[in-house]
Amino acid sequence: MTVGQIPILEARGLTRSFGNVRALDGVDFEIYPGEVVALIGDNGAGKSTLVKALSGSLALDSGEILYAGGRVDLNSPTAASALGIETVYQDLALAPHLNPVQNMFLGREVPRSGVLGKFGFLDNKAMQVRSRSAFDDLGATVRSLSDPVGGMSGGQRQAIAIARAVAWAKGVVFLDEPTAALGVVQTKNVLETIRRVRDKGVAVVFISHSMPHVIDIADRVQVLRLGTRVATYQAQNTSMEELVGAMTGAVAGGVK
Amino acid sequence: MKLKRPVVSLLAIGAVASLGLTGCAGGTSAGGGSSADAKDIKLTFIQGVAGDPFYVTMQCGVDAEAKKLGVTVNTQGPAKFDPTLQKPIVDSVVATKPGAILIAPTDTAAMQAPLKAATSAGVKVVLVDTTVKDPSFATSQISSDNVGGGEAAFKAIKSLAPSGGKVLVISTDPGVSTADQRVEGFETAAKADSDFSYLGVQYSHNDPATAAKLTTAALAKDSDIVGVFAANTFAAQGVATGIRQAGKEDSVKVVGFDAGADAVTQLKNGTVQALIAQQPALIGKDAVQQAVAAIKGEKVTAKIPTGFFAITKDNLEGEGANYVYKTTC
Amino acid sequence: MTTHAPAGLKPTSSGGTGSGPGTRSASLAHGNVVKNLLGVQAFQILLVLVVIFLIFTALAPAAFPQWTNLRQVIQNMSILGVLGIGMTFVIVTSGIDLSVGSVLVFSGVVSAKAMILVGGDGWTTALVGLVVAIACGLGWGLLNGLLIAKAKVPPLIVTLGSLGAALGLAQVFTGGVDLTTVPAVLSDNIGYGNLVGTTLPLISVIAIAFLLFFGVVLHRTKFGLYTFAVGSNEEAARRVGVKVDRQLISVYALSGALAGFAGLLSLSQFGTTAIAGQSQTNLNVIAAVVIGGTSLFGGLGTIFGTAVGLCIPAILQNGFVIIGVQPFWQQVAVGVVLVVAVYIDQRRRASAARGGGGGTRKVSLAGLLQRQKV
Repeated sequence: MTVGQIPILEARGLTRSFGNVRALDGVDFEIYPGEVVALIGDNGAGKSTLVKALSGSLALDSGEILYAGGRVDLNSPTAASALGIETVYQDLALAPHLNPVQNMFLGREVPRSGVLGKFGFLDNKAMQVRSRSAFDDLGATVRSLSDPVGGMSGGQRQAIAIARAVAWAKGVVFLDEPTAALGVVQTKNVLETIRRVRDKGVAVVFISHSMPHVIDIADRVQVLRLGTRVATYQAQNTSMEELVGAMTGAVAGGVK
Repeated sequence: MKLKRPVVSLLAIGAVASLGLTGCAGGTSAGGGSSADAKDIKLTFIQGVAGDPFYVTMQCGVDAEAKKLGVTVNTQGPAKFDPTLQKPIVDSVVATKPGAILIAPTDTAAMQAPLKAATSAGVKVVLVDTTVKDPSFATSQISSDNVGGGEAAFKAIKSLAPSGGKVLVISTDPGVSTADQRVEGFETAAKADSDFSYLGVQYSHNDPATAAKLTTAALAKDSDIVGVFAANTFAAQGVATGIRQAGKEDSVKVVGFDAGADAVTQLKNGTVQALIAQQPALIGKDAVQQAVAAIKGEKVTAKIPTGFFAITKDNLEGEGANYVYKTTC
Repeated sequence: MTTHAPAGLKPTSSGGTGSGPGTRSASLAHGNVVKNLLGVQAFQILLVLVVIFLIFTALAPAAFPQWTNLRQVIQNMSILGVLGIGMTFVIVTSGIDLSVGSVLVFSGVVSAKAMILVGGDGWTTALVGLVVAIACGLGWGLLNGLLIAKAKVPPLIVTLGSLGAALGLAQVFTGGVDLTTVPAVLSDNIGYGNLVGTTLPLISVIAIAFLLFFGVVLHRTKFGLYTFAVGSNEEAARRVGVKVDRQLISVYALSGALAGFAGLLSLSQFGTTAIAGQSQTNLNVIAAVVIGGTSLFGGLGTIFGTAVGLCIPAILQNGFVIIGVQPFWQQVAVGVVLVVAVYIDQRRRASAARGGGGGTRKVSLAGLLQRQKV
């Protein structure tokens, strides 16, 4: 499905050590536009570290990152955002006292037109309308746009965090364990959201420990072990047993 | 009236002592009214700081005299000796339109305008203990004669060290008018006495440790100092420490100022040999008299200086006990 | 779709626990303006203020509710009001500024020195004093902000340090002796003057104008939003590209500059640098801000609440003095109000942290106000 295309995001030989620990050991990675890639691996395999590196939150010792075929320097989350790379962190990173609209547009506020905008006044109406349509796009029911998100349920906050990432992502969205804290219904919603995002042509990378979800939603699965990529599978051609084997090192990896 | 000062003060102390047990809460209402319209007279006493023994003792004098004259007194005071806290209190008190305010202003400049405004609102103002920049609007000013206090301190040293010698003053900060006057009084008296040699004044900035350092340094330079006048309690603490560090407890006499509980403890355990006590109760009593006279349109005295009493270990159990500052009436 | 969803559960019914789409439009339709303006606790505390006011009115009808009295109360609150603005911004970032009283004194001292140096009694001299006072305050504020944002020293420690340092330097500059030369235009117009044609103290008009202006800044602009964002979740703000350090430095600089300006107001009102004064100012301002519903944990607060929070101790003290309550009780009463306010804040935070549930889960002050949370 992806042969001949240029990856939207590609990593070559990323290395990063923390003291004596090699969190990333020459890891490679690539994802194509409109693709869902699951990133799996045992605890400490380097999944979160890789996501941090690819979303501008972590400096690298060596290796290079290419965005749409060109070399890029992702030295800050803002730099990644500017390229169209967005991340939903495990802790969601919402400001609990701000409402969904304020969270959605934090750091990217829409100023009022004219002089007032120059003085820092904001076009709340426009941001509200755009937030509402972003939530509706994903089928996320956010009960109130004016209440602080801190008072909302985990599922709602997840929906807001994902909607925010998707709304701003032109190229790639990273989801770090997006379903870890969710119930059955909410998890299903998140998976459905991922499909919708993919259908818009945005590439989705998601980390998960849940093999059924991985097989269900991913186009390809990349397996990390001890800071390096040990295997890549087409999701429809693999099985849970194979994935678990690759994660633990029981099965020799390879690109299928 | 001025001539009879000692007699009056004794009477006042007697009155305070006899009425002491009847309590002195914030408001003391009229007792047996002596004059027909006296019970309509309302006074407010605003302390420099609430709860300080000096002002509590003054309040005792105020309440006792108010009861005697049959007038009502309400007492207020800021939590700290701070004009930014005292001004709102003055403003609030003026709203109650008392006949007179008896006040110890916390700042000569800052309290000028609010008190002047009180006078304009028809409230008589009697200044007690401290004063303001231009007190011409005040009905009366009653305060200790601090120059006389310095003189009394010198006399106390003279009686403790009759043969004379070198004397030193440890004050608080330059520019504190009351302390400066005490130093002035001490200096004048010391210089006039040929038996004594005045070594000058040092400033401890209200810090006992600084006072101790100054004292040890002075003793290192002049080991034959016979007396030190510590112009307030903190200074006295430091001076006593400094003398102990130098091992000169027996040869150097310390005279402190004011007779709060701390100072009396110093006197009892022998670190200080005499205390120059002001007479806050008398100040309070005089203030009530002046305020009531002003309200009734009688003659008032513009300025009343009050005297001092030297408390020593010998008279502490006797007459001196009357001059110790109180924490309750 | 290869899902095993229970029948009838559509993916779009995400998140909410018990509230349908109907409530959404309802919450958008009304209530927002009132809520945003007042804030919950600020409104509750306003009711408390009204009750206190009515009680004192009943107890002392001749003295308390008179304009001549209330005018003084407002006048005496004005300086604290200006300081309260900066403190609200600082506390919203989950910081604290203990140095405001000392910075006020320091700025007053340097400003008074500058005005004495320039000489004269007119507005030109006063303008020099104004610029110097604000510059001094701004300097301390920037120093606080830099140490907090860049050197990562906790705000409590940094501002405790500058509290001592500013006051100490003020004493060094003056030898501990107050300067009492203040241009007449300042004391006559700003200190004790009224707004032309009214009996409203000019110093209060200035304070109210500042409160309104900075209320708009905090609640309506990007600067204000970032202040909340930094206090709510610093890391989240950083990740979306908010310049957190710059925001913190700006907020402390604002607090310092306002304290500097307050230094000039203090000179005008008291006619002296009052170096020994302002001893309780920082705590009084912090108490007012907290009583007004600004959370010490950051992310939550209103300028309106601060204004009301300033009124409560001021009215309590004024009323107590008027009805002749012993001074110590006044501190007790203010202390109780403060603790109750923080208790409510804590309860609200706890209930917010439980998250989830819709419906009513507001803590209200002794059931004074039941507000439906939609």
